[in-house]
Amino acid sequence: MTFRLSATIGLAAALALPPALAAAQQAPPAPAWQQGRPDSMAASPLAPHAPRMTVTAPDRIPVASLKVPEGFKVELWAHGAPGARMMAEGPNGTVFVGSRTIGRVYAISEEGGQRRVRTLAQQLKQPNGIAVRDGNLYVIAINQVFRYDGIEGKLDNPGQPTDLTAAFNLPTEEHHGWKFAAFSPDGRLTMNVGVPCNVCEFDRDRFATIVSFRPDGSDRRIEAKGIRNSVGFDWHPRTRELWATNNGRDWAGNETPNDTLHRIRRPGEDHGFPFCVGSWNDPAVPQRECSEFVQPAAELGPHVAALGARFYTGTMFPEQYRNQLFIARRGSWNREKLSGYDVVVAKIGADGNVAGIEPFLTGFRDDSNNGFNGRPVDVMQRRDGSLLVSDEQNGAIYRISRQ
Amino acid sequence: MTFRGSLLAAALAAAAAVSPAAAQDAAKGAVLAEERGCGSCHGAQGVAAQAPMPSLAGQPAEFITLQMILFRERLREAPPMNDLSQGLDDTQIEDLAAHYAALPPGPPPDKGQADAAKAREGEALAAKLNCGVCHLPTYAGRAQIPRVAGQREDYLVHALTQYRDGTRRGSDTNMNAVMYGVTDAQIAALAHHLAQR
Repeated sequence: MTFRLSATIGLAAALALPPALAAAQQAPPAPAWQQGRPDSMAASPLAPHAPRMTVTAPDRIPVASLKVPEGFKVELWAHGAPGARMMAEGPNGTVFVGSRTIGRVYAISEEGGQRRVRTLAQQLKQPNGIAVRDGNLYVIAINQVFRYDGIEGKLDNPGQPTDLTAAFNLPTEEHHGWKFAAFSPDGRLTMNVGVPCNVCEFDRDRFATIVSFRPDGSDRRIEAKGIRNSVGFDWHPRTRELWATNNGRDWAGNETPNDTLHRIRRPGEDHGFPFCVGSWNDPAVPQRECSEFVQPAAELGPHVAALGARFYTGTMFPEQYRNQLFIARRGSWNREKLSGYDVVVAKIGADGNVAGIEPFLTGFRDDSNNGFNGRPVDVMQRRDGSLLVSDEQNGAIYRISRQ
Repeated sequence: MTFRGSLLAAALAAAAAVSPAAAQDAAKGAVLAEERGCGSCHGAQGVAAQAPMPSLAGQPAEFITLQMILFRERLREAPPMNDLSQGLDDTQIEDLAAHYAALPPGPPPDKGQADAAKAREGEALAAKLNCGVCHLPTYAGRAQIPRVAGQREDYLVHALTQYRDGTRRGSDTNMNAVMYGVTDAQIAALAHHLAQR
């Protein structure tokens, strides 16, 4: 590695947001990740992989094992941001990064050719939702919504944000309550509200939705329903249709169901959860005709955890990547043989149909020992046309560019 | 569709993060533990000699690291550990974890006499609750899941009661679900069984 980084982690509590409300709850009858598990699998050792919440030193980040197509290169862009997940870029090039378990929001800026990592906020409850509009940073932590005005002018002392929680009035359920957030082309703050279980009965106008708001939290609109939990979406650069990844449910078998990609042409359409994934009727719920629902645009693989998804609009990459959708697949836990742990490209033809799903960034998964050494969660194109990829397991961000 | 059991066990035995081992230094961790006085509660060699302190000797390093981060970030409230963990950076926490992971586990000096009937009751309950699936049949623990074999009985009662009552969580709510509805008498039996292992 040819660059050096300075990481400023764990700033004084003076910079912290007020602690997230720690609602003391009664012991739940089952943790969400176990719901839907058949009795026959009560002794299954399958369980979510433990998060890593400490800094991974650069010489231990597996960048050398990563592979990209001919003509591209991948390098370590930033490290020292444990739990790094969703990314958004400010007007001056600061990259803001959300997290889940560790409760932090990072700001990564370039100073003299090096990256500096600051912890902007901490002690938040799963602040995964990060979006920037007009120089203001929006942070969504389950139901809490905060806005930091002019954030890039006060990275060292962000102060207290404006609290928009009451205006947005989001559900407080924590499971699948972590957000992916982005502004639509017409300026609406858009986010997922995942289903608060594996598979269950729920209010279908409230959960398993993608919803949008005016930036002040007013004028809620359902963009899509019947999408179990979308932690990645973007608007097609030409058609402006919303394309969203979705996480399929657990405990229905190694190959069932698929994670899916959804093309959302009209607001409010029903994409089928919990009843159907494509033509697959989930036996755990009342049976419905799957033809009632909008069909997925593509299958992304069973249990792969298809998350961050963004269209490429730059000119650095060859023409064939223009207006194509890059998707980070964080990798499976509810499957005996690991799958995912990569970044793929959904190739979308002129007819708007998905012609194929192609690998783009691989090397995190080791099939020889059914193990992994990193977990890509989000992709983000920078203004220079390079592509950043966040790696939650290593608290790292990679940069992919042309050689 | 069902999983094939034999494959499952084989696959899971191998499924693990292969991220390179963290840059842990047990020797530095030992010095730090001395400076911070960790041993005054957890024992000079990581085997706690007073109630209701947990023994740390032989705990998986990942378990200790994760809990220390949760303490330091005040994401898990457990006084006095929240205050005691302030000022430790990630590397120091990993060093401490490596130190305690490398110490040989052992029974506390004030370990009580075994009550065979109580231990049998606890053993039956542990089998029913599938404790050995995550904590391993030896109860040695793995990754983020703690060693419970030979842990102090009073600490086990304390921790299991907290899980049962929803006043403590792990990195998820699994233990809360496992302990849901378990009675005080059953917790006592379970703790006795584990402590005697």
